[in-house]
Parts: sequence; C-alpha cells; structure tokens
Amino acid sequence: MLSITSLTAGYGKLMILHDVALTVAAGQFAAILGPNGSGKSTLLKSIAGLTTIERGAIEFAGQAIAGRRTETIRGLGLSYVPQRENVFKTMSVRENLRLAVRGLGRPAALLALGECYELFPILRDRQGQRAGSLSGGERQMLAIALGWLARPTLMLLDEPSAGLSPLFVTEVFRTLRTLRDAGITLVVVEQNARSVLRWCDYAYLLRDGQVAFQGEAAELLADEESVKSYLGVKLVRKATLPASSIESFSNPPPPN
Amino acid sequence: MTLTQLVDSLVTTAQVGSLYALMAVGLTLTMAVVKLPNFAHAELITFGAYTALVVSLFVTTNPLFAIGLAFPASALLAWAIHRLVYRPLVRQKSTTYVLILSSFAVGLIVRYTLFLLADRYDLFDKRIQIPLQVLVAIGPLRLTNIFVWVTLSSIILVILLTLLLNFTSLGRQMRALADNDTLARVLGVPVDRVTDLTWVLVGGMAGVAGALWGLYTFVDPLVGWLILLPVFAAAVLGGMRSFAGTILGAYIVAFGENTVMLLLNQTFGLDFSFKPAIPFVIIILVLLIRPQGFGGIGRSATEGGNA
Repeated sequence: MLSITSLTAGYGKLMILHDVALTVAAGQFAAILGPNGSGKSTLLKSIAGLTTIERGAIEFAGQAIAGRRTETIRGLGLSYVPQRENVFKTMSVRENLRLAVRGLGRPAALLALGECYELFPILRDRQGQRAGSLSGGERQMLAIALGWLARPTLMLLDEPSAGLSPLFVTEVFRTLRTLRDAGITLVVVEQNARSVLRWCDYAYLLRDGQVAFQGEAAELLADEESVKSYLGVKLVRKATLPASSIESFSNPPPPN
Repeated sequence: MTLTQLVDSLVTTAQVGSLYALMAVGLTLTMAVVKLPNFAHAELITFGAYTALVVSLFVTTNPLFAIGLAFPASALLAWAIHRLVYRPLVRQKSTTYVLILSSFAVGLIVRYTLFLLADRYDLFDKRIQIPLQVLVAIGPLRLTNIFVWVTLSSIILVILLTLLLNFTSLGRQMRALADNDTLARVLGVPVDRVTDLTWVLVGGMAGVAGALWGLYTFVDPLVGWLILLPVFAAAVLGGMRSFAGTILGAYIVAFGENTVMLLLNQTFGLDFSFKPAIPFVIIILVLLIRPQGFGGIGRSATEGGNA
C-alpha cells in the first residue's frame, strides 16, 4: 500500500529524516512513535508533499509520489490530516465539509455529507457553528471527517489525540478503528505510545530521523523493556486523570 | 453653511463612499487570499479608467460598454502582473516586504507607461464622455444619472462579490485559501487556479471602479495613486480582512473627506486643501487606538467575524 525507501527529507537545507525505510501493508492501522523531534511529523508531511525531499522514493498504490504537488495527492486516494490548524477556523462546519467534497456534483456531495454525519454524528449538530469555536475533540472529529471525505484508501493522521482529554482520546481511536475496519489503511503519528498501542496493529519507533525499531502492537506491548529503551517511557501505567480534564461531546465550550 | 451644501456633501459621500468600497474590497480580498498589500492596486484602477476613457472617446459613449470593457482590461493586467512578478517571487519564497516593494515598482512602471501614452495621445484631464442628466431634483437634493451609475454599479458589484464568496464553490475555495493555504492544498484546492481567478476578479473590479471614477471626475495617470490612500484607510478601518468593516470604513472615509471637511471649513475656516490629509489622520488614529479596525465587530466575509 505504502512503501518508503531510503528517504532523506526536511525543510530547505535542514534534513530531518535520514534514510528512512518502511512499508505499510493494506488494511493496517500503523502507528509511528518516537520522542519529540524524531521526525514523525516530517515523515507524514513528506508523504503529503510538504517537505523538501533530497533523496529516496515514496510509493503509494503502485505510483511514485515523492515530490508531487500537495494539492494533487488527495485525488489519488491518500488523505493527510495535519496536527494543528487542521480545520478552516473562520468557516462553518458545513462549509468545511463542503470544501472537502468539492467537485463531486450536488447529489453525490449531499450523499457523502449524509454518510459523514452518520459516521461523525457530533458534526451534524454543529453544522452551522464556526469551526474555530469547536471544542478540541469536536475539531479533531471535523479534521478526520475532512480527510475521510476524500474516500481515501490510505489516511495519514498527525497526533490525532494531541491535547485531548483521555475520554476523547478513546473516542478518536475508536473512530479510527471503525475506519480501519471499513478497509482504510491508517498511518498515525503518536506521542502517546501507551494509548495508541492498544488500538493499532503495527508500530514503528522513530529516533533521530530513522526507524529504530518496529513490530506488532501486541508484541511491543508485551516487550516492555525494549520499548522503554527506545522511547524512554513505560507503556503500562495506571492512568490517573483529574476530573476537570474530562470533557464531553455534549458540552460545547463557553462562547468566546 | 447652506442646506444645499450639506446635502451636496452627503450625496458626494454616498457616491465616493460606494466607489471607495468597491476599490477597498478588492484590496481586502488581495490581502486576505494572496496575503499581499498590493500598492499596484492603484494602477489597476487607473488602467480601468483609461480603458473606459479611450472607449468613450473613440468607440462609443454608451457607458455600459466603457465600464464593461474596463473589467477585462484591468483583469488581464492584474493577472499578467501576478504571473510575471508576484508568482515568481512567491515561488522563490520572497518575504512580504519584497512583495510589497515589488508592488510599488510594478505600480510605478504601469503609472509612468500610462504617462507616456497619455502624453503621446493627449489624454490628460479628460472626462469619460457620457451626457449628463439630472434625474432627481427635490429641493436641495439633486441626483444625476452619473450618481446613479456610479453608486448603483459599485453597490451591485460589492453585493455580487459577497454572494460569490459566501455561496459558491469558488468563493469557499478563496476563503479557504485566506484562512489556511496549507490546509487548502492538503484538501486538494487547486491553489494556482484559485489565485489566478482571485487576481482576475480583483483586477476587473478595480478596473470598473476606475471607469466609474472617470465618470465622476477627470482621468489622468495619477488617479489611482491619489485614491489609493483613502482606499487603504477604508481597508485599515475594516481591520484589513473584514468585508463588512471595509465597506463601512469606505463610507466613513468618504464622509470625513466630504461632509466633515465641509463642516471644518465652515466652522474653523480650514482650507479644502487639507482634504487629502483626512485619510492619513484616519489611518494613524485607527492604528494607534484600534489596530484591528472593525474586524471584531459584525460578521465578515473573509474572517467570519472573529477579532
């Protein structure tokens, strides 16, 4: 589905990734883990055509896509959901979604929006609201919906759980599993190894711009020691969450 | 001050304010979508005025033709400038400062080319030829066909642009680009095409505004440059990104230049040559007191109403 070989990429003259190689099989929910600055986000951005690629190849569904213009990549069935700034804040939820189904023709677009509201019910209730006024979890759902509306075979997501309360993190991962079960291949960058490993199939550990370790999620969860040595974190720890951090889908944020 | 003078100044405010609004929304759109305070906007206006003038002098005095042809002429100029100057600079990752300076340079080149041509063909201080008619004369209120042409055309174009931005796919794509151009690319918005079309629209509207300005007063190669300051003042009042704020700003600047100027003249004997200073005063006061302009009040087309 996705295969990257000897990829060296970065921004301008500064190269972040060095000789990265990885292959993601079709239908897999793959996670990319690693400490801050290990190049996780840069890897996704490189696939999405947002970095300078010095060397290497990226192949998606049999096509070489390294160095393609960003705006042409979505049409191949590959969608990218950035970490921050991933919705159009000044536009309504509905306008955001309509941008994502642009060019479908009205009947097909309405059908797609209908399906989207089935999959992300919260967005139906927020249709008329400005995306900038959504809560963190709602915004993340909108961002994932924008990616999903491309009808992708492969979705790249950059830290979909960042900044969300544990309750929402579970919600987001559950949605991602639904997408995986519907046949979409997922590559998810995560800071929070502990939670994503419970949901994904396979994981790559990135360090200093290189793949340092990889394996089945279940094995990694079992192999506590080697993961700890790569990531510097323990995987299994009882989560203690302050009550105040629990938000709920039904409670909109206070008006600003 | 007589009642006639006051009513006259209010009529001028309505007419000039509508023109400023038409010019300023184009400028605001450029700043929002292309992220460039385009000083050559002035010359897009002048070019439209000259196109209309030439058409009215040598082809037909039908104002619809003169105004109608100003649109494609300035649209083409705007698009050509974008492709020849701005886009190559953006591709080289030039800073906004470089782009602003280049817009000054482009403006100068166009302006002095027009000077050469105007000199060669004796086109200084000419008026677009359409027969003047008084349509309404009630007491001190006197409205001419030119007032109707200028005011109605400006208002209709501003409304059409607002509808386009809010209710069409192209409009949504332009706003998406204004909001977050990286995300727009990621979502497959054909950024180059949308930018081209933005320039065509902005140029065309500036051209029509120039033609209408030429109906109202004289045309010379400096018209656009001299109007640019009040137009920038209107855009600054609107917080540089808000449409509703920009339109309101345009009428406030026109009101300041006409009615307030008249009052200052009558009350304090301030000379009318102070008029061009009024937009300066407005820009400085707004930047000092409320740099976001009206950006935070009322909903806007490009910003969606946040401060």
